[in-house]
Amino acid sequence: MTDAMIEFRDVSKRYGSLVANDHLSLTIRRGELMTLLGPSGCGKTTALRCLTGYIRPDEGRIFIDGKDVTDVPTHQRELGMVFQNFALFPHLTVRDNVGFPLMIRNLPKDQRTKMAADALRLVRLEGFESHYPRQLSGGQQQRVGLARALVYRPKVLLLDEPLSNLDAKLREEMRFEIKELVTRLGITAVYVTHDQAEALALSDRVAIMHRGRLEQVGTPEEIYEQPQSRFVAEFIGLSNFLEGRIEAVDGASMRVTVGDLRLTAPALPHTGPGQRVLLFVRPNEIELLGPDEPAGENVFEAQVEKATYLGDSMDYRLTFGQGLALRVQGDAQRRLSPGAPVRLRLPRIRCWAITAG
Amino acid sequence: MRLARAYIRGLWDGRMILGYTLLLSLTLFIVAPFLMIALRSVGKGWFGRLWLPPQLTLDWYRWAVEVGNIPEVMKNTLIIGIIATAISTVIGIFAGWAFGRRQMPGKEVAMAIVLLPRMIPPITYALGVAKIFYTLELVDTYLGVALAHVSVCAPYAILVLSATFEGLDERVLEAADVCGANTVKRFFYVVLPLIMPGILASMIFTFTHSYNEFTLTLLTYGPHTVTLPVRTYLAVGDGYWEITSAMAVIMVVPSLVILAMIQRRAEPEKLVGGFKGV
Repeated sequence: MTDAMIEFRDVSKRYGSLVANDHLSLTIRRGELMTLLGPSGCGKTTALRCLTGYIRPDEGRIFIDGKDVTDVPTHQRELGMVFQNFALFPHLTVRDNVGFPLMIRNLPKDQRTKMAADALRLVRLEGFESHYPRQLSGGQQQRVGLARALVYRPKVLLLDEPLSNLDAKLREEMRFEIKELVTRLGITAVYVTHDQAEALALSDRVAIMHRGRLEQVGTPEEIYEQPQSRFVAEFIGLSNFLEGRIEAVDGASMRVTVGDLRLTAPALPHTGPGQRVLLFVRPNEIELLGPDEPAGENVFEAQVEKATYLGDSMDYRLTFGQGLALRVQGDAQRRLSPGAPVRLRLPRIRCWAITAG
Repeated sequence: MRLARAYIRGLWDGRMILGYTLLLSLTLFIVAPFLMIALRSVGKGWFGRLWLPPQLTLDWYRWAVEVGNIPEVMKNTLIIGIIATAISTVIGIFAGWAFGRRQMPGKEVAMAIVLLPRMIPPITYALGVAKIFYTLELVDTYLGVALAHVSVCAPYAILVLSATFEGLDERVLEAADVCGANTVKRFFYVVLPLIMPGILASMIFTFTHSYNEFTLTLLTYGPHTVTLPVRTYLAVGDGYWEITSAMAVIMVVPSLVILAMIQRRAEPEKLVGGFKGV
């Protein structure tokens, strides 16, 4: 028995000249919650539909639990799926919706009723058995969808943007519920979303997709703290980029020139002086210093260009050096107005660098 | 000028009365012929310029049943209607699926051809049908007359069911697949219940149409397949207006029953869709 539950092996799918999946290779481990994350049109939905069998890839094979399912029809793949628009059967009661996969498998009626009741208890929806989907709220409908997907304990649970039709508050609630359920049942889950906060909160691992390709696969921490490309960094909400060139590497740190400024950043493996790099710093990790604090490593004089009050914090746009600009989040207690001089520090360990072309 | 304004104002002030008058006229216009027929079917000695018949009688109905052989004719009409509806519905389901759910080249052209029998004058179409049916010896058979009806009934069924299939949520079908349903199970447990309102609507349409169909019947019927509209028409030719009226009233009854059924059922959207947040 291998560790891999789902495997995309070199899967490609084209629509005319549009490449939806470009030689996608991805392994999802048993019991893991993997999120396919990316903007619309990045191929994440195509990948999911290849998995359900609704789309047949042009090239490559797909394995579920060690079995090549590329040519297996959808209804024999033993999957559970939760849909964005819930996709409940409108003519069936909640009980019959949840019991549907069991009825299809010809289970006796009393067993069906019992298993459906168990699944509904799992999603905390007891007492609604005789309701029709249209009588339920969006959140309740999605719980029914979840119960229907889990009722026969499929090997794999697929979730296709299950929360995007719900309002913000419910979304956060359901997020933790889904995570908790998947962990408790130990089921392998593939979650498709374009919401990076959702992906980071839910996943064991995240696969970021862009133009049909995988940009980066890793734990939420890896994705968030060590993005491997500008696209990933931008997609998960990084907004400060500084282009520079390595001047010298000194053990665990390196000196980088950005315009006429010198920065110290953690060293990048397999690089040397002259290499062009891209530095990322998060707006909330830049420190704003008082005007009388001493100069030091990565401390620069800057000027406030724009200040926006955000309630719990201030959002500044600062200019420094030769035409460089940064977004910085500051303390709401200490307000700086546009034009004011300010001193900022880019903490060395917070400067994340990648090689640039 | 002032007079004109006063006149318009008067009209405006009396707009309710005006509205009701128009509505009443319209109602009379629709109902009057029917009232006429109903009255004549029970009137005796109603000649000349009398507004109401001097005597009431049910004799004409007895005559219609005995001489006009209405029970037999009614049986023919219903059998032909049922056959035509069944064939049209089956055609409608298959064609509707193709039109509503499949991408195919020349869809518009195909739809135009399907609708053709409804577009050209029925008598033209009926003449052609009659010629073919004589050759095939289908004239004066239930199946033959029903098939002739299908040529105008099926387009209705196809139109209604195409729209029904188009309204099916693709994701719900996908959900059925993922839940483990093969094509047959998916059809019987998911698709069929969801399109049932459409099938019912289509059946009511096609049955009413076959029941009322005149031109196509006239050119394909025979002694064993006289239908109500044709029988009524023949009675007109015989000159018995009272009996004709009685037949006409009898003919309307099933239509009214169907109308009542539609009123009761109605709101098929209660069966499909009506989802929150979708």
